[in-house]
Amino acid sequence: MNQDAGTSRPELPPIAEPETATGRPSVSLLRRRLRKFRTLKRGYYSFLLLLAAYALSFLLPLLVNDKALFVRYEGQWYFPLWRYYPAATFNQPTLGEPNYRDLAQTFRQQGGGNWAILPPFPYSPTESLLDLPGSPPHPPSWQHIFGTDDRARDIFARLAYGFNVSLTFSLLVLAISYAIGITVGAFLGYFGGKLDILGQRLIEIWSSLPFLYTIIIVSSIVVPIYIPGRNLVLQPSFWMLILILTVFDWMGITYYVRGEFYREKAKDYVGAAIAMGASDAGIIFRHILPNSLTPVISFAPFLIVGNIGALVALDFLGFGLPAPTPSWGELIGQGMENLTKWWLVFLPLAALFLTLLLIVFIGEAVREAFDPREYSRLR
Amino acid sequence: MNILEVQNLRVSFPIAGGVFARKIAEVKAVDGVNFELVKGETLGLVGESGCGKSTVGRAIVNILRPMVYGVEISGKIVYRHAAGDVDLASLSRPKMRPFRPDIQMIFQDPYSSLNPRMTVGQIVEEPLRIHTKLPAKERKDRVSWLLGKVGFSREQTNRYPHEFSGGQRQRIGIARALATHPKIVIADEPVSALDVSIQAQVVNLMQDLQEEFDLSYIFIAHDLSVVRHISERIAVMYLGHIVEIGPGALIYKNPLHPYSRALLSAVPRPDPEAAKDRRIRLAGEIPNPIHKPSGCVFRTRCPIAKPSCAEEVPPLEFKENRWVACPWT
Repeated sequence: MNQDAGTSRPELPPIAEPETATGRPSVSLLRRRLRKFRTLKRGYYSFLLLLAAYALSFLLPLLVNDKALFVRYEGQWYFPLWRYYPAATFNQPTLGEPNYRDLAQTFRQQGGGNWAILPPFPYSPTESLLDLPGSPPHPPSWQHIFGTDDRARDIFARLAYGFNVSLTFSLLVLAISYAIGITVGAFLGYFGGKLDILGQRLIEIWSSLPFLYTIIIVSSIVVPIYIPGRNLVLQPSFWMLILILTVFDWMGITYYVRGEFYREKAKDYVGAAIAMGASDAGIIFRHILPNSLTPVISFAPFLIVGNIGALVALDFLGFGLPAPTPSWGELIGQGMENLTKWWLVFLPLAALFLTLLLIVFIGEAVREAFDPREYSRLR
Repeated sequence: MNILEVQNLRVSFPIAGGVFARKIAEVKAVDGVNFELVKGETLGLVGESGCGKSTVGRAIVNILRPMVYGVEISGKIVYRHAAGDVDLASLSRPKMRPFRPDIQMIFQDPYSSLNPRMTVGQIVEEPLRIHTKLPAKERKDRVSWLLGKVGFSREQTNRYPHEFSGGQRQRIGIARALATHPKIVIADEPVSALDVSIQAQVVNLMQDLQEEFDLSYIFIAHDLSVVRHISERIAVMYLGHIVEIGPGALIYKNPLHPYSRALLSAVPRPDPEAAKDRRIRLAGEIPNPIHKPSGCVFRTRCPIAKPSCAEEVPPLEFKENRWVACPWT
């Protein structure tokens, strides 16, 4: 047999260098998509702006605070930002925490070696400025550029801290609900069969629970509880709200991840992985998951928007974060009650609008950069 | 000396329906297949699309159960290795694992068979990572050596599959299959997705590697000229049954089963005069595999069918140095 095989076998031609080999290094699909994302200017700059603002918001205690950064008093160094000093330490005639703004002023008037360095914006988001003339809410002035709310707390400080709270909250809800949703979706799509049918029905039932009502019921049950004899207080906290939102948020992504896994599992590279003896976990997380991330990444910005919206809605209704926490929803609620005070109505809404707009811009660009049709031949 | 014996293999896929996705019917993709693979030979498995030849291959590498929910497999796939015989079809996934390095598969579609998120090096390294305890350095060396065997340079190790053409990608698939130094390689239509000019390259490469690595191939194809080029023996399949099996040269020269005759007459020959009257055209369509004909599955299209063909499945009989499943030849 093979009469023609031995005699005139064509030599293996050398493999032609692929076009990327002409100086450029080889690029993965993810790199290409990130590169594409960087060319979408609106989304990319929104991303940089938001990232910078969010990073900066972690330094807020250094920038917007009523506590001094350093105090030099009678030859001694004090760091009020990190330690508590009673007012008597600086010979101030009040109880509790000293008023560092007054202290700095007093030191300046006295001259001498005592001084205090305050943050650039020396007002705290939880501090009621009761010595301001007139009654709260105070309109914007040079000292309080965004005015104060109905408890005379500085609105700029509250918005700035509220930005960090909203975004952190939203990212945490996203991370936890993605971790659950992706795992569940992956298992349903990968194992299929009875598990899939049952899991999907359970998710459908669970997702038909009315979100807002459930949260309102839960939040109103979990009112502050003082346990007699002990000082324990149980109340709707940051983490509790994250838990509640996650319980309702994780289902959305399961549908998409399940679908992706269902499709990818039938492909031969999964067969090859099984044939070489890879474990189920190895196949799910090493082989299929990296190929199923398109919906996960494209939905993320929009889910962040949704989570911020949910938190604002809860705070607005009064079922959100516990009282002194700086929150946008609570400020918007105050605006609702004080419709004639334009700064209370307009400024929190503007902050919310701008943040959500930036995230939606990012989301649009991400969606375009991760469009599977772009590289459909490769899938 | 046989290295693999397939005994009465049956594979059926469920068809789910209704609210609870219950099994409402089944497709008997492989319906009682027997053959053996001799060590060092190439067995060609031919037949038209949907005759179950790929399913046989996938059953041998034992990837059907994890990939298709509810698939039913019966019969035996006896792998004869140094330490004794083992029935692969009965093994659970963990028990199958020690035998996986010995039995590997080359897939048909060079696009979907390589993970697009892994570099060529990672793809070929994966089986080594799973089955050997080699240190990273030696693994990398073996990967470049393997890729060198199939014609890649060291620099190309870090490229992604989408940067290569179909033929190149198929060679990556071959390198991956050879990574664990297998004894049996199932090649599931390895060249049917490639241009004819590239097909010859890949087929010749496979033949060279067969000698070098002492491989036994099961070469699945619908392109008879490729099978003829590479295989010593061929098995002709129709609707889940083997209808004729024997030495390739013999069957090519003088096919006995009416289906083999029709199939082989469809091979184009570069002779316009001879081609006209030689071609046997089959009447009708392939029957629906959910409702197969009783008795001989080929009887509905067979030019020599008799009423008794409907009664029982004709067994393979030894005639003229090959096995044929037709009593009328």
